Amino acid sequence: MIIHPELRALRGDDSPQRDDQDALVEAVDAWRSRQDVAQIFDELDGFAAGGPIENFPALAALFDGSGHAARFIDEMIALVGAAFAEAMLAHLPFRYYCDDVVSTLQLGRAGRCSLALTVLDGEALAARPAPTTADFSSCEIWESVLAGAGQAQGVTCADLSQESADLAIETIALKPGTVFARQAWREALIVEDVEGRLVSLRLQRRLRETAPTREFRLSDGQFVHQAAGNPTESRTELMMALAGRMKLTESAPVLADIALDGCSAALRWQALRECLALDTQEGFAVLCQIAASPGDDLAHPAGALRSQLIETYPQLGDLPQCRA
Amino acid sequence: MNLPNIDISALPDLNTLTGLFGTVLDTARVGGSDDTIIVIITFLMDSR
Repeated sequence: MIIHPELRALRGDDSPQRDDQDALVEAVDAWRSRQDVAQIFDELDGFAAGGPIENFPALAALFDGSGHAARFIDEMIALVGAAFAEAMLAHLPFRYYCDDVVSTLQLGRAGRCSLALTVLDGEALAARPAPTTADFSSCEIWESVLAGAGQAQGVTCADLSQESADLAIETIALKPGTVFARQAWREALIVEDVEGRLVSLRLQRRLRETAPTREFRLSDGQFVHQAAGNPTESRTELMMALAGRMKLTESAPVLADIALDGCSAALRWQALRECLALDTQEGFAVLCQIAASPGDDLAHPAGALRSQLIETYPQLGDLPQCRA
Repeated sequence: MNLPNIDISALPDLNTLTGLFGTVLDTARVGGSDDTIIVIITFLMDSR
């Protein structure tokens, strides 16, 4: 194996790497402490707390097509990029994602908001099969194209609650200065063609109350898939499944609470199933309570399940909560 | 009262199943929609 002498030397003394990293962090701090940049990140904090973007002028200016976004990134490249070029052994202190098509650098994050720099590689994008679906998620997105050119499909639908959606598709030209503001729960953007690389600045804010992300087929609007709207819900679902497989009966009261007050119908139903399997009496009490709540989204399936269980296990019909 | 043990596999799912956060079927639609991948990365790193 060939190891570069500079890397081999780090085995005995890693101070050059530490020095490089310190220098790069200092450069990022210097960029973020610039008055205009600091104001943007201060406003990102406020924006995460709520309110329309118009209440945050420095942030809004990045997405008004006036060139603020390009200057914002130019300043970062001038300061941070120059330091990065000198600090060959350092990592940029930003979270990032990279594959052959998309590279994303998260410049800032506050609560349910993120500000990220995104690059799409046109050649790699063209090598992938054409998208066949569009997905709609519970967030607001602002995007400003900084460099490159391309073409996207804007997909809009007013009602996504059914099994089939009437999708309206329009072609959108992408070029420097193009800005979008999307309500992603009813508007999707699919980049289909890029010349060279497409660089954009993206601001995203998730809604406080997230509904499942729903995916529809472009050709006929047929619903094909839905996924949890936030990672916390999925983590809770995995924890519930683990508690169930481990037969942790002491977790039944917690599962009962989630079944009654969980954030989504899907999570509540899974909690109810796990609770029934762990503690029949507690689970059945919750099932009856939900079935008896006419305004509850789960009242109908809970009622059907209650009837099914009583038919299979007649003794459940003698429980007090069932008789009530 | 002697209550039965209920097998979870015998309990029905809802008509529409909900996948885990970030699960989408169309991997070709990369980068076009939102920053889900960043949310996942941030969530995983913050959960350590």
